[in-house]
Amino acid sequence: MSKIAHYLRAINAENMKEWRIEWKYKPDFIRQFLEPFVYLFPYFLYGYALLGGRYSSHLKSITGVDDMVAYTFIGYLIMGFLNTACWAMGSSLRKEQWYGTLEAIFVAPVPRWVYVAGMALHSTCHQGLIMVFQAFLITTVFALVFKTTGIFLVLLIVVLMLMGLYGLGIMVAGFTIGMKQWWVISEALSTLITVVTPIAYPLAVLPIFLQKAALFLPTTYGIIGVRHFLLGEKLAISLPLIIFRLIVILVVWLTVGFALFIFMDRYGRKKGILSLY
Amino acid sequence: MPADIVVDALYKFFKKGRPGEVRAVDGVSFQIEKGELFGLLGPNGAGKTTLIKCISTLLIPDAGSIRVAGFDVNKDPLKVRQQIGVLTGGERSLYWKLTPIENLRYFAALYGVPRNQVKERIDYLLSLMELKDKAHTRVEKLSSGMKQKLSIARVLVHNPPILLVDEPTIGLDPYFAQFVRNFIKHELNQRLGKTILLTTHYMDEADALCDRVAFMNQGRIDALDTPTRLKRSIIKKEILEIKCLGELQKEEFPALENLLSLNITRLDGFTYIRMGTDNPERLLSRVIDFIQHRVKVYSVQVTSPSLEDVFVYLTGASLRQGGDDA
Ligand SMILES: Nc1ncnc2c1ncn2[C@@H]1O[C@H](COP(=O)(O)OP(=O)(O)O)[C@@H](O)[C@H]1O
Ligand SMILES: [Mg+2]
Repeated sequence: MSKIAHYLRAINAENMKEWRIEWKYKPDFIRQFLEPFVYLFPYFLYGYALLGGRYSSHLKSITGVDDMVAYTFIGYLIMGFLNTACWAMGSSLRKEQWYGTLEAIFVAPVPRWVYVAGMALHSTCHQGLIMVFQAFLITTVFALVFKTTGIFLVLLIVVLMLMGLYGLGIMVAGFTIGMKQWWVISEALSTLITVVTPIAYPLAVLPIFLQKAALFLPTTYGIIGVRHFLLGEKLAISLPLIIFRLIVILVVWLTVGFALFIFMDRYGRKKGILSLY
Repeated sequence: MPADIVVDALYKFFKKGRPGEVRAVDGVSFQIEKGELFGLLGPNGAGKTTLIKCISTLLIPDAGSIRVAGFDVNKDPLKVRQQIGVLTGGERSLYWKLTPIENLRYFAALYGVPRNQVKERIDYLLSLMELKDKAHTRVEKLSSGMKQKLSIARVLVHNPPILLVDEPTIGLDPYFAQFVRNFIKHELNQRLGKTILLTTHYMDEADALCDRVAFMNQGRIDALDTPTRLKRSIIKKEILEIKCLGELQKEEFPALENLLSLNITRLDGFTYIRMGTDNPERLLSRVIDFIQHRVKVYSVQVTSPSLEDVFVYLTGASLRQGGDDA
């Protein structure tokens, strides 16, 4: 029990340390709040250009939602958490190495995943803050209206999805300590997931094999579920099945992620990989 | 009472079985008693850092065993880490964007220092290292010496009984290097009673600080004893030193009778040839024949051996390869 308290304290210390360091790079801190808009607007403009406006009866007929902006925005918002997994968690240990502090923290009496977990906590809070800011701004500018009746289910779905993504994050972190060109893996995974997840369109428009692939991603269920509860999108998969699959996915991804991390950590310490750079 | 650090038949190779295989640690055994200040002395590439990394669980050895404070590094790595403070990497091992207090608090949390003791512990360490008035200044704004002091404080945050110190004075200015040596010896070892494993390639450092010294070369320990006894082991030998102008390689030197060891270093434009011998006069007459056409001799003297000469004599290797860091 005291061991768990110790690890939780270390996870939080990691989280707080990261806030403190980030806070000292203020321009970068601000950039992180503004940058998402830069990436978001092409989606909107594209949508406007194709539809000749914001609303689409075709979108309505296949999804039950006619507002392209609201529809796209939710998918985009949820995908922000992919950064947490692939980049923030993934690069956490490499960043320590770049500071020169990696060996100092690796000789501390906590398991090495604790640092990745601390980064997950930090990045989730950080990303959450950015999302609240974006949601507030976009909602105001476009006068979006969301349904709030299913808000607790929205939270449940997001939490389950996040835990699945943490599995991915710990896996990427594993690659960083066992592989020279870890970012190739990170880049490939995040691109793949971004392409396959139905961010700005319904699942049904994807080619069949991509639809099948999408069913293994927590982000797919996250976006479908959240859009259903906030916008009233017709569910392509029943709610109990969404929850069930999210749970299966999170168990599998976390298990695989941890196993890979532990394997890579041992492999790295056998080969002396970390001290090579 | 069991020894604090027990290393038994330890092996650690890199690029094992492939071209360019490095036998970084090649069958090393030794024990460090509680309260001892133990020195690992050897030139660059001897395997000192690799050995420290194996003890501190950063590397997994290929074979052999290590026990620290009674815990096996393979079976109980977290317990081992709780018992040790590892000083490596110097000033880079801190978060430069954070203040000393923020750094120390972070490490205190990692080490599970009880919350109600953290403030007291940090206050103590900051005043011990004379950093009180810099407690809230970002590390990047501190002088190099202060950063070094802070990294010492960081290593002590959980009050570990055992310290592993890798080349503590490398790159420091002479004044500060002396401070660090005194601190390790008088404060950490003598006053606080810490068991210390220190690595260095500075002979004087090992000679002045350590209770016992192990000579390490090419992954092996060639001799292990107190500095006094190591020096006495070649007491019947003398050192013939020739100071000269001009280049001379060790490899060019012929095998001469009465030449027991050879070390060539360069300092301030001069070349120093230091030869261990049991008969300096005979050796001199032979050496002069060989060198007179190659270099210009400046002075010749006969001295008693330093610990460095003992190292050269026992391992056949020079501590200062090419004398680059002299
Ligand atoms: N991670 C590594 N991968 C490959 N070779 C290494 C690694 N670390 C050290 N070595 C090699 O092992 C030998 C011993 O190095 P090291 O332990 O750093 O010696 P020292 O600390 O005594 O200077 C050197 O030849 C070095 O190049
Ligand atoms: Mg070294």
